[in-house]
Amino acid sequence: MQEIKDMICPFCGCLCDDITLEIEAGKIVSTDNCCTIGNAKFLGKNRLKNPIKKIDGTWTDITYEEAVDTAVEMLLDADRPLLFGWSGTHGEAQCVGVHMNEILGGVIDNTTSVCHGPSILAIQEVGHPGCTLGQVKNRADLIIYWGCNPIEAHPRHMSRYTTYADGYFLDNAFRNRKVIVVDVRETETAKVADEFIRIKPGGDYAVLSSLRAILRGKSDMIPDSVAGVSKTQLMQVADMCKTCSFGALFFGVGLTMAKGKYKNVRNAIEFVDDLNRHTKFTLTPMRGHWNVYGANEVMAWMTGYPYAVDFCRGVAFYNPGETTAIDILARKECDACMIVASDPAAHFPRACVEQLRDIPLVVIDPFETMTTTIADLQIPVAVTGIDAEGTAYRMDGIPIKVKKAMDSDYPSDTEILTRIYNKMLEVKGL
Amino acid sequence: MMKVILEVKERHKPNLPIEAECITPKNFLDPEREFHVWKGNKELDITDIFHVRKDGTAKSAEQVEITIRGDSSHIKRVGEYMDGGKILIEGDIGMHCGNFMSAGLIEINGNADSWLGREMHGGKILCHGDAMDYAGSGYRGEKQGMRGGLIEIMGDAGDFAGETMAGGEIIIHGNAGDMPGVDIKDGRLTIMGDCSRPCGNMSGGECRIFGTAYDMLPTFRNEGLTAIDSVQITRFSGDYMSRGLGTIYVANCKYMD
Repeated sequence: MQEIKDMICPFCGCLCDDITLEIEAGKIVSTDNCCTIGNAKFLGKNRLKNPIKKIDGTWTDITYEEAVDTAVEMLLDADRPLLFGWSGTHGEAQCVGVHMNEILGGVIDNTTSVCHGPSILAIQEVGHPGCTLGQVKNRADLIIYWGCNPIEAHPRHMSRYTTYADGYFLDNAFRNRKVIVVDVRETETAKVADEFIRIKPGGDYAVLSSLRAILRGKSDMIPDSVAGVSKTQLMQVADMCKTCSFGALFFGVGLTMAKGKYKNVRNAIEFVDDLNRHTKFTLTPMRGHWNVYGANEVMAWMTGYPYAVDFCRGVAFYNPGETTAIDILARKECDACMIVASDPAAHFPRACVEQLRDIPLVVIDPFETMTTTIADLQIPVAVTGIDAEGTAYRMDGIPIKVKKAMDSDYPSDTEILTRIYNKMLEVKGL
Repeated sequence: MMKVILEVKERHKPNLPIEAECITPKNFLDPEREFHVWKGNKELDITDIFHVRKDGTAKSAEQVEITIRGDSSHIKRVGEYMDGGKILIEGDIGMHCGNFMSAGLIEINGNADSWLGREMHGGKILCHGDAMDYAGSGYRGEKQGMRGGLIEIMGDAGDFAGETMAGGEIIIHGNAGDMPGVDIKDGRLTIMGDCSRPCGNMSGGECRIFGTAYDMLPTFRNEGLTAIDSVQITRFSGDYMSRGLGTIYVANCKYMD
């Protein structure tokens, strides 16, 4: 039995870096410090053994070389290929993806477009008053969780950075740190909050507007109830925010995907801006996939845009709503698709999944997923954090090297994508 | 007077978008000019996509009238940077029709896709059907949307009509979707039907709603009844989450309590 300490968990945007793994006969047999979700990922079974291709409706085992050739053929044939996923792989593989997209003249999009895409649109409008999670842990005496449920989605967020964490500059952090939860239902997180604001679905924008008006001394015009929240509570919350020494607002898809989308987030950012006239306040999106922030970083530094980048005319064009994967699929625009480290068949609307089924589809993923069932080709790869390594970005934008625990015969995402990319160059004579 | 008729050919992949920003009256003045359009990642000659017929001659863009026939619902960016003349679209039109246009007329007999007249400066767009989201708005992250001219939509408009509007006029004869005139700075937005959450973060300009505004934002101050064209209407000032320099006239409104 071999024990490896200080490993990085490749599941959610928290990128917990204190994981202990126990390895026996080339397999991870147990984990320590992990949350339930991370544990399930490390102990994941049913990995695909070799590339498979659908020939006349039945799966056939093929070699990696044949798989690379097939993928190249499918993608080069297309007029509008879509390369989607990317948030579940390391930054180095994402770099190859962007290069490949340029050669193909396709659209490259990551899972941001279905989670925090609206946050980025809002940030592009009014900026991002952010900070690292270390600052929050050590200084914040007020935490707001808006439209997110960390106990179930980011299980160690509260113990590592907020409610249950010690703070270097805080006395008795557990008792003195206040937590406000805003949600449409009483979640597990809401149960441990000092103040729970229950909002009617779609009421986020009105509540944020009211809080901002109160901060500006216009409380006289606020009615007795706004989207299910009483004026008394709004006044109390505005006062808690104004009088804290360091506030941190975390928000999830409850805010970004509610009616109004990026305008909700913009309102939240401007609320935080307004609070900075009274005290110190910051805002951080609760990113889902472990390296979705990295996908935004890589695409932004290589193309100028963080997601939904359309290279069809040789230069980068970006317009979420037009160049995002969901929209392209729903309008049946794309005629070939490659999915890397993502499972859209499990999460996309039915019309989009039907379009994926009807076009040539290459999947690069270690496991059999729902998307496998509609694919034409799947290439299994190593799992970053288990048998592959690379760079990932935590939800606060900190790059972290994700180490590997063991070697295996599987190629990493970077290796297989580089082979596909080189083959494309060769075929195109570049 | 020059008449140009562009008839969309039948296509093997009809859903693939075509980018055709070359279709503006001014471009047809030069008889030597080559017209290229993009189908996905392939650059094609305009004759690969359209049957092109040109009759007569013209000395200025004002004397050119372009008619687009056939299934043009996936043709994007028609009339981008248009500065005179007329484009008549007999069916539906794709996204970004009339982007940045400064003069002339675009008439659409069918429906228009999103971003109709994005950041336009002048001229007129008349859409006889519905327009999708972001009519007269700005580009992503842009501070100013439409700055001048007129967009008239005879049917309904989608969400975010007139987002970041900074001048000009939009008239929607049907209903508008969610958040019309959000972040509006100047100009006038008229909605004859209903809408929801109008003019969040308004910092100037005017919005008139002759139907019902659902989920009206609580940060607008009721300034009492007034009349427009003998219609009884309530005047609101706002948005007081910022400086409150805009005006909304609403016939009926409902709040989300």
